[in-house]
Amino acid sequence: MLQGASAGLAAGGLYAVIAVCLTLMARLVRVVNFSQVAIGMFAAYLAVIFAEQHLPQWAATAAGVCVGAVVSGLIGWIIAQWLPEAGIGARSAVSVASLLLLVSLSFILFGSKPKTFKSLLPGPAFSMGNVVVTQVTVVMVALALAVAVGCHVLLTKSKIGTKLRALSERPTTAELLGVPAKGLSIAVWAGTGLISAAAVSIVAPTQTNDPISLSFIIVPASAAALLGGFRRLDLAVVGGLALGMLQGALAQFEQMSVLRYWVPFLIIVVFLLWAERKEVWDVAR
Amino acid sequence: MISKLTKIGAIAMASALLMTACGEDTNSTKAAAAGDDIVVGSVNALSGGATFPEASAASKAVFDAFNASGGINGKKINYVITDDKGDPSTASQSARDVVESKKAVAMVGSASLLDCDVNAKYYQQNKILSLQGTGVDPACFSSPAVSPVNVGPFLDTEMTLTYGSEKLGLTDICGFLEIAGSTGPAYKAAIDNWSKKTGKSLKFLDDSVPLGSPDFTPQVIKAKNSGCKAVSINAIEPDAIGLLKAAEAQGLTDVTWLFLTSTYTSEFAKAAGSAGKGVYVPAEFAPFTDPNEAANKDWRALMEKNNIPLTSFAQGGYLAATYFIEVLKGIKGDITRQSVTDALLAMKPIENPMVGTPYVFGPGDKHGSNTAAWPVQLKDGAWVKASDTWMRQN
Amino acid sequence: MLRANSLLARERMKPLAIAVACVLVGWLLSAVLPAYFVFLGTTAIVAMISLLGLGIVTGSAGMMALCQLSFAAVGAWAVSWLNSVDAPGGLVVWLPLGGLAAAAAGVVVGLPALRLRGVNLAVVTLGFAAAADLTLGKIQFPGTQTGIQVARPDLFPGDRRYFLFAVIVLALCSLLVHYLQASRWGSGWKFVAFSERGTASAGTSVTVTKLTAFGAGAFLAGVGGGLLSGQVGLVYPSSFTTIQSLALYVLAIVSGSYLIDMAVLGGILWVLVPELLKRFGISQDWGFVIFGALGIQSLTTGSNLGADLRAMWWRRTQRRRKSAEAPAAADAARAPAVPDAGTKVPAATSQTSAVPAAVRRPTSSAVSGAGALLSVRGLSVTFGHVTALSEVDLDLTEGSVTGLMGPNGAGKSTMVDALAGFLPQHQGTIQLAGQSLNGLSPMDRARLGIRRTFQQDRVPPTLSVGAYVRFIARGQASDERVEELLRFFNCPPPSTQLARVDVGTRRLIEVAANMAASPRLLLLDEPAAGLSHEEHVSFAEQLVQLPDRFGTTLLLIEHDLDMVRSVCNDLVVLNFGEVIASGQRDDVLANPQVMTAYMGELEVS
Repeated sequence: MLQGASAGLAAGGLYAVIAVCLTLMARLVRVVNFSQVAIGMFAAYLAVIFAEQHLPQWAATAAGVCVGAVVSGLIGWIIAQWLPEAGIGARSAVSVASLLLLVSLSFILFGSKPKTFKSLLPGPAFSMGNVVVTQVTVVMVALALAVAVGCHVLLTKSKIGTKLRALSERPTTAELLGVPAKGLSIAVWAGTGLISAAAVSIVAPTQTNDPISLSFIIVPASAAALLGGFRRLDLAVVGGLALGMLQGALAQFEQMSVLRYWVPFLIIVVFLLWAERKEVWDVAR
Repeated sequence: MISKLTKIGAIAMASALLMTACGEDTNSTKAAAAGDDIVVGSVNALSGGATFPEASAASKAVFDAFNASGGINGKKINYVITDDKGDPSTASQSARDVVESKKAVAMVGSASLLDCDVNAKYYQQNKILSLQGTGVDPACFSSPAVSPVNVGPFLDTEMTLTYGSEKLGLTDICGFLEIAGSTGPAYKAAIDNWSKKTGKSLKFLDDSVPLGSPDFTPQVIKAKNSGCKAVSINAIEPDAIGLLKAAEAQGLTDVTWLFLTSTYTSEFAKAAGSAGKGVYVPAEFAPFTDPNEAANKDWRALMEKNNIPLTSFAQGGYLAATYFIEVLKGIKGDITRQSVTDALLAMKPIENPMVGTPYVFGPGDKHGSNTAAWPVQLKDGAWVKASDTWMRQN
Repeated sequence: MLRANSLLARERMKPLAIAVACVLVGWLLSAVLPAYFVFLGTTAIVAMISLLGLGIVTGSAGMMALCQLSFAAVGAWAVSWLNSVDAPGGLVVWLPLGGLAAAAAGVVVGLPALRLRGVNLAVVTLGFAAAADLTLGKIQFPGTQTGIQVARPDLFPGDRRYFLFAVIVLALCSLLVHYLQASRWGSGWKFVAFSERGTASAGTSVTVTKLTAFGAGAFLAGVGGGLLSGQVGLVYPSSFTTIQSLALYVLAIVSGSYLIDMAVLGGILWVLVPELLKRFGISQDWGFVIFGALGIQSLTTGSNLGADLRAMWWRRTQRRRKSAEAPAAADAARAPAVPDAGTKVPAATSQTSAVPAAVRRPTSSAVSGAGALLSVRGLSVTFGHVTALSEVDLDLTEGSVTGLMGPNGAGKSTMVDALAGFLPQHQGTIQLAGQSLNGLSPMDRARLGIRRTFQQDRVPPTLSVGAYVRFIARGQASDERVEELLRFFNCPPPSTQLARVDVGTRRLIEVAANMAASPRLLLLDEPAAGLSHEEHVSFAEQLVQLPDRFGTTLLLIEHDLDMVRSVCNDLVVLNFGEVIASGQRDDVLANPQVMTAYMGELEVS
């Protein structure tokens, strides 16, 4: 049980990082980016292609991550350019389309044969009794916390953070005050693209690597972000880690195999229904 | 409203016209101008998450070479390759396209996850037979209309277990199964056969492993806690990699992995890297990773000439086409679907050094003539023979 | 009259006639098309039916549902199961049963939609799709392990006949969707997509509306799934993967599948794109790349094939009509507020005749004597630390027109919200004709006869004027009455699309529609905003007549003093959430406190 939970922690760390990215996106640029992990997946696959061109591993990974950021920024630019005033639904629908596009494109570009993902962090970090904690787990959990704390500090303490918050809360006013809305939102897109590409690149070598199963890590990750209502970074991190551990623990029970697909989903729904029990109406007035 | 109707009609007509106007398939080997070509079809997984393009590519290479050397009675073989996208309704569409629109005389070298299950009955109804290049689904091994060239995952499972328990002398073998489609009972029957023949049983059998799961750590922990000395799983390449990687991360390095032919590829060896230590696979055809294997000489030359990746699938496709030509040559008179079917049903077994048992179609209710495998293992990121002869299962 | 009736009947029969014609076309196609295309056609029809369902949930009701094929899988599973246990009736009976099973699943998935909106719901439905995907992989469909093929109906055995069967099912589904969309449910879906508050204020349950949308959408998906199981015989989970659900969702957006013909077009695209790729020997993987790119294009331009084709068609007929009656169109009265001027219908041209003679008829005298219809005591509303209303008392005499005045932020709209039931946490009591309203939902209050209009536009542009009015009226008004009211307020005729009506006129239609519901009390929140001065005047004249003509009591939030003077008998003035004056109009207007509070504000602004 405990072993399973700790084994799920690496996945949980990834969920948490992605959930933080999703929360940031929802808050700052009004979008739930369903293609968040797909962008990371695309970057990780590119890194493998670069590595095959005899680039050193670190350089290939860095190049892949950069391209991931560019791809993310490109989607952000499309949305900022043509849907500046649209609601979160329409903007997010664009990311559904880009998820579809990225997954199919990676089948075309990278084929369906397994790729040689070089492990950046192989093996266990330490073990307590028979509970093994891998290096990837340590790094992912640290990364999740670092990203969440970093973003929090950036948003609350820095000048650019103030601008970003102004943009998210009063977009029109902010723009009137000379905040470069378009540039900033593209920057947010590129930044989250960079973070998720890095996270996926770290985790991908330890996981099944096919584009679909990687891209659909978005499901538990968005569930974690939903736990924080797409507003609270701390809850997103906690939710991601908890969800990963829960899945890991449940996997130890064979008889629950069908149930374990549903448990996270059900918990999220029940939690949300409880959390939003009072909010009855769609808009303020 | 009326305008709506006319619009629907117009669109329907336009698209129907567009489709028919596009005319003949461009996938075919030759521009099919002559109506007297012999049409041969195949249904393959060519797009989506799991693709097997080499089988039909290898068959096509064989047919191209055959056509180049004059064909048969002045007729050429027009080989139609279709894609089923791993989707049942596309698979049945493709079969209908080949059988009804293109008037194929036989199906040769198909490699698909669900062609047999979805289409075997249809083939039977239309009295067309399929020499499956790579049969995966159970119907491939239980239909009167299909005779696969390969061993198939079920017998392969039995063989990998037999090799592990008898040749390697392993105890504490744990079993994992990823169940896709209707494969569950067939895998269980294979494991039962192994138990019956060897008197041994698995430490546990977990058939709840999700197909395409992103993370196999839970399974690894389970194997570690149960003290498994060997792990058998029917995973395809990406999942098997995932399992090995998770085991490496969890420090589970001293087990033997008993995998299936589906992981026997050079990409897999490379991707597995150091984590692939202790992987054994019963190869369904003469091991292609040994460049000096004499049995594969002709095949290897043809594949390299056509830039087709060297894989088991390519071997299956090559063999299916080779067998088919052999049968074709024995037909006297017109080559029609009927005469081809009759010839296949009446054929004598064909020997080939690339397989351990001769191939035959014949009139049976089910087919599975390939019952031999050649054990190979992963060593230092490359496949090597683990035995110097075939392992035959009876 | 007789002619009108037969016209109406013909209008009603039209969809049926079209359906029959479509089946005939289908029969013809099934006979002449090559076998392969017949099979492709069946695949397209399966997609069309799922798209029709998606059109309801996503297109009409505006909820992001990413699990349409999971519903289809439920339908297919039910049909396979019924087949494997050899249930009586055959596919003809199993199909609707499969649809019902899917509908049940749809209602369950729809439950979170009662609290979760927009993109949150999308996350939940995506989670459902992923979990269903894995579960199906695990449990498989009944019959696959034993190889029992789903039996086709005896009348439709081969591929050609089965195609005809599919066409018939499609025609029936299209009819169902057509009638549902025209029904109260259909209007409700479009309404709830635009505004939940508006829906509830119309006396319609938001819960029921959302669940029926999910249920109907899932029902259609289930029928599609069942049809697929009859087509392929053995069903596999790979027909219903999450990524395909996403692709279908994108296709629904691209085609605009809330329109029946566009769902048909979408289904054709669903098979045409892969088929063309195949013809040109291009990898099938490009299919979803194309759908993805089309989706991005369609979303960023905010258009879809359906709307584009419709707009094209409309412009063409408009041009034709214009050339026919050129001079009449020259003085299109109101400049539309929406930029796309070319496609808007000018509002009713006869504005000068304020009161058409046709509507002059005796007052419905439910009004007996003058008692307090609405009585409010000690009404207080706080938002956190902010007190929006404090200890407000209010009495509205039956048949009166009371103006509610006050500077911005005085609590006027909060007052209306509290009366209409949107602020259940308020303190104090509200009584309508002696019956306490405390604890009643906005829907209940609307059904008791309290109706309201909104300061913001709450008129769904996706409806026609007639459908909108009928929806708001909840069966209280006959067609003649509706037309009469529309004429009375100088509104465009019922067949006009609201999308083509300017915002000011929409407000008038909103008032007319609420009057059609014959409310006892109508709360009007700045109804004249967006009207020109002349329109203001004529609107005021219309309002004055309402109590006598229809027996409705009015509470009117209004800034325009001229309007207040000409319409209201009584006035209530709020400032900082407190009543600073109330009573007879002239007395209140003469009150110095009102002058400083209200006029001061006016001078500042």
